[in-house]
Amino acid sequence: MRTNYRVNSGVRFRMLSKDQLRELYWGVLHVLEYTGLEVHHDEARDVLKKAGAWVDGLRVRIPSYLVRRSLKMAPRSFTIFARDGNPRHDIHIGPGRAHFGPGPTCPNFADIETLERRPYVKADVPQVAKIVDALPNIDFCESLGTVSDVHHDLGALYEFAGMFPNTSKPIVAWSYDRHDSAGIHEIAVAEAGGQEAFERRPNYVHYCEPLSPLVSTYEALEKLLFAAKHRIPLIFTPCPIAGGTAPVTAAGIITMAAAESWMGLTVAQAIQPGLPYIMGGVLSVMDMSAMILAYGAPELSLMMAGITELAHYAGLPLWQTGGCTDSKTFDAQAMIEGSMSVFFSALSGGDLTHDVGYTESGMTGSVFQLAAMDEAIGYSRRITRGIEVNEDTLAVDAIHNVGPNGHYLREPHTRRHFKSEFWLPNLHDRRNFEEWDMMGRTTMKGRTVAWVREILATHQPSAIKSETEKVIQKVLEAGEDRVKDQ
Amino acid sequence: MSEILEQISTAVIEGEVEEMVDLTEDALGDDISAEDILNKGLMAGMDYVGVEFKAGNVFVPEVLRSARAMQESMSVLKPLLEESGVQMLGKVLLGTVKGDLHDIGKNLVGMMCEGAGFEVKDLGKDIAPEAFADAVKEFEPDVLGMSALLTTTMRVMETTINVLEEAGVRDKVKVMIGGAPVTQAFSDQIGADGYASNAASAAELAKQMVGRA
Ligand code: B12
Repeated sequence: MRTNYRVNSGVRFRMLSKDQLRELYWGVLHVLEYTGLEVHHDEARDVLKKAGAWVDGLRVRIPSYLVRRSLKMAPRSFTIFARDGNPRHDIHIGPGRAHFGPGPTCPNFADIETLERRPYVKADVPQVAKIVDALPNIDFCESLGTVSDVHHDLGALYEFAGMFPNTSKPIVAWSYDRHDSAGIHEIAVAEAGGQEAFERRPNYVHYCEPLSPLVSTYEALEKLLFAAKHRIPLIFTPCPIAGGTAPVTAAGIITMAAAESWMGLTVAQAIQPGLPYIMGGVLSVMDMSAMILAYGAPELSLMMAGITELAHYAGLPLWQTGGCTDSKTFDAQAMIEGSMSVFFSALSGGDLTHDVGYTESGMTGSVFQLAAMDEAIGYSRRITRGIEVNEDTLAVDAIHNVGPNGHYLREPHTRRHFKSEFWLPNLHDRRNFEEWDMMGRTTMKGRTVAWVREILATHQPSAIKSETEKVIQKVLEAGEDRVKDQ
Repeated sequence: MSEILEQISTAVIEGEVEEMVDLTEDALGDDISAEDILNKGLMAGMDYVGVEFKAGNVFVPEVLRSARAMQESMSVLKPLLEESGVQMLGKVLLGTVKGDLHDIGKNLVGMMCEGAGFEVKDLGKDIAPEAFADAVKEFEPDVLGMSALLTTTMRVMETTINVLEEAGVRDKVKVMIGGAPVTQAFSDQIGADGYASNAASAAELAKQMVGRA
């Protein structure tokens, strides 16, 4: 037995010192207490007031004790369950675990046949969900698009209805309003076997977005209230742009984004103590020439790592961002930007990393970017898994046995360990020139496209219950009925 | 060009906000006309900034500071220009349409139009079609700019154009539209007068619309 022996069980990096984190933490509390936010929702303001916040018109300021109490109430670890009970599709959120998935609602989609950019349609939803279901390193599902060929108010409903039967990986669902949220919840609850069963084993996460700077909008709070009342794990994520809607400095944007997210936390915990809550923030810079929010900037990774560390310091999981790019196509830029941010997310242990597969700054969703990033995630995960050091892995005996001038190819030690020690590439090509030449000189792009199409031709996700199928039909019909005169 | 005009255009380029009023008054004291100060001093500076911005040598915050500097000088010049009947570039009315809360792109368009010499009124975000129509009547802009970032709110631009029509003010303004998902084809389809894909080209477009490009 080894005593007083320190083990590093994985590779992580730490950017901020304890002192810096404390400074950020108290900075956020200061903003909430002295500046406050506009809260555009009567019921939410009432909830906050009853909990002890100061309400002055729309402006709400929260004393720091109340925020700190809310932080304590939210769990750091919880599980989002696969709808079909497949334990490999469960997501265990907790320290040291990074998970990955696509992003929501791009207007365009890279067509699977032509690879050309075109509007995202209903038929794309099941395809994306199937691919997510099959990709070994993708853990949760979003659809990468806004459905354009249904009634404009029903996009979110059709999206969930298309994803749910086609993947058993947990879905992160967004919505336009309370109607969508209710429809989505009805479907998920049907599959879970009732509200109580859902509360014990939640099978999806609800996502909403406040407005930067410092506004909790009516829509975002409507959805938050719905999720909190139904105990649906919740993401409350602003999207501030450094130099545009937020301070230009990394520390400044982190502080403001955290204040925006902790306002939602305080409302949610006041309604539903212990609600699983995932702190948000997509943080990046405004490119000061192109005037876009840059999804491929190094500052995105840096700011996201910073807010991840702050979230963990405060005891919350974080909605991370990575695997995305500003490139318009599947090219070297897309791979550099996507891979770097994936690796950074993995290193910082961001709990749910989304927007994998975003191209063109979030304007076009691409399953090819997503599949290529699956490889980058596998690669990153091998690194963050780290080096195990014990008597066996130290291999002193094997080194002694082989001695000088021998080789390790036939060593039992090699056979025993190579599969866990080595990462097995899937899309990357490592063959020698002659073989690569013989096999048709394939490129990363060609192999990725082929893999995606193969998945679609062969992968069969597990089915949902037939009662749930009926509920889906019912929910969609009710939706159509609601909007038929608009 | 006179030395003081040169100083004014340099001050615009450098964004010397605090010095603009003094410089402008000095120039007026030298019997240089308000019109010449505007065209040969301020606009000469802004034109240079515009070219450098396109070339990627000057960045948004610097452009906006130059625009601010120009505004300072304009606060002195405007009454004089109006008095002497000089045709101003015109007025731009801006807003993000109903149901849409994205506003930073629209804010940039406003500031770029100011930099180009327009008088700009920004209604804000989540603006109902009727509110646009009322503001057109009240403010009498030459150009109305609408912004939408969502495919769902894009169609509210069409509604707004219809409401302008019903209010009898559609032919009083040029309508330009923009926002990330908006395209030229969409602009043609809903009967807008033009589309621009970024804030710098929005200012160019507005100038074309008032026949001053
Ligand atoms: C920041 C952001 C937000 C912020 C906005 C904060 C704010 N104060 O503005 C928040 C978090 C609030 C937000 C909310 C939502 N968002 Co949003 N958001 C974005 C994001 C990431 C960046 C937008 C931005 O600011 N860009 C930077 C500015 C400078 O660029 P810009 O706005 O395009 O403006 C430039 C040009 O378009 C042009 N321009 C703009 N206006 C005008 C006007 C005229 C007249 C002219 C000529 C030119 C012009 O000039 C500008 C400067 O060059 C975009 C993604 C993207 N790539 O656009 C999504 C995006 C627009 N959002 C999206 C969505 C879905 C939403 C939500 C519905 C999400 C939700 N479920 O809650 C809500 C809707 C809220 C609402 N009712 O409006 C989708 C839209 C998809 C679709 N099919 O329509 C996008 C594309 C992201 C995505 N992939 O999901 N969002």
